Amino acid sequence: MMSILDRFFGTVRGGGGSKEDAKSRLKVLLLHDQVDLSPQQMEAMKSEILDVIARYCEVDRQRVDVRLEKAEDQVSVVSSVPLRRVTGRAATVS
Amino acid sequence: MSECIVITSGKGGVGKTTTTANLGVALAMMGKRVAVVDADIGLRNLDVILGLENRIVYDLVHVIEGECRLRQALIKDKRLDNLCLLPAAQTRDKNAVGPEQMRNLVAQLKADFDYVLIDCPAGIEQGFKNSIAGADRAIIVTTPEVSAIRDADRIIGLVEAAELPEPTLIVNRFRAKMVKRGDMMNKDDILEILAIPLVGMVPDHEEVIVSANKGTPAAFDEKSVVGEAYRRIARRLTGEQDVPFVATEEPDTVWTAMKRWFGLAPAKEVVG
Repeated sequence: MMSILDRFFGTVRGGGGSKEDAKSRLKVLLLHDQVDLSPQQMEAMKSEILDVIARYCEVDRQRVDVRLEKAEDQVSVVSSVPLRRVTGRAATVS
Repeated sequence: MSECIVITSGKGGVGKTTTTANLGVALAMMGKRVAVVDADIGLRNLDVILGLENRIVYDLVHVIEGECRLRQALIKDKRLDNLCLLPAAQTRDKNAVGPEQMRNLVAQLKADFDYVLIDCPAGIEQGFKNSIAGADRAIIVTTPEVSAIRDADRIIGLVEAAELPEPTLIVNRFRAKMVKRGDMMNKDDILEILAIPLVGMVPDHEEVIVSANKGTPAAFDEKSVVGEAYRRIARRLTGEQDVPFVATEEPDTVWTAMKRWFGLAPAKEVVG
């Protein structure tokens, strides 16, 4: 119902919404600027972290996600490292 | 009590010079004695935006090197006799001046003017350091774009490292229509990222080009929306509280008003 009304009144237009791209790109950019970590350094760090974890578990390197996050002025390195099937179930170390 | 405000941005081309010229005009129209200083040595532009380019005899570097007195280099605006421009040198580079000399120059200007506005060059090198040296506070100009906001964030850090008080923000080239369809960051998006107080929003408008062509800043024009936005920023700078933001959209058509009434069109985006 709403969508028909929207279409009738021309509220919904084609395109749009690119500001969300701008915002999310900016947030990542500013975090990297603030901690002064280049994408290359970040890549190197990621690979070293994985090497450590890989000594203990079998890591699914394709699906690894290591990034910076900010919550209330605190910047953190957040990683999600999926492990390959170990005991018949998938497990994740965070 | 006089105050020196530096207008800076990091990124070039976001409207620092236009902002400096318009705030200078708007403050002078309020009866304040204002000196605008072009600190972009080697690439002067403030004279052109103000339409005073044909009257330059001496410049900032002449004053600093003692070749003339400060009063000889100041160009009095004939439209507003309490507005003066100190132009930059066009044939020298940023290293012709140092922070200590700028501090002395600003101190001299503050003796004769209520407001000293410094038009900072783009970048974070010598010209930026000179520009903030004598300033009591900073205004950061940005546009609603990723690159401009990134640079603004960097500049905010540098301003704070220089122990100036928390800077305030002007968002320039704002387009209400693009914001409405989600293709431009709005006021809240930008403030969420930069987290400094907003002192004004200036719409992106053809008037800015026309006034630059003529050498007559929009703030002179009582009917201009851009001029009105700058005049309101000037009022906020002088400490006036609760200056309302101005709506920049064209008035509602019957159709839009009806949509708004049904809740099918978003609330009016206001700037000013």
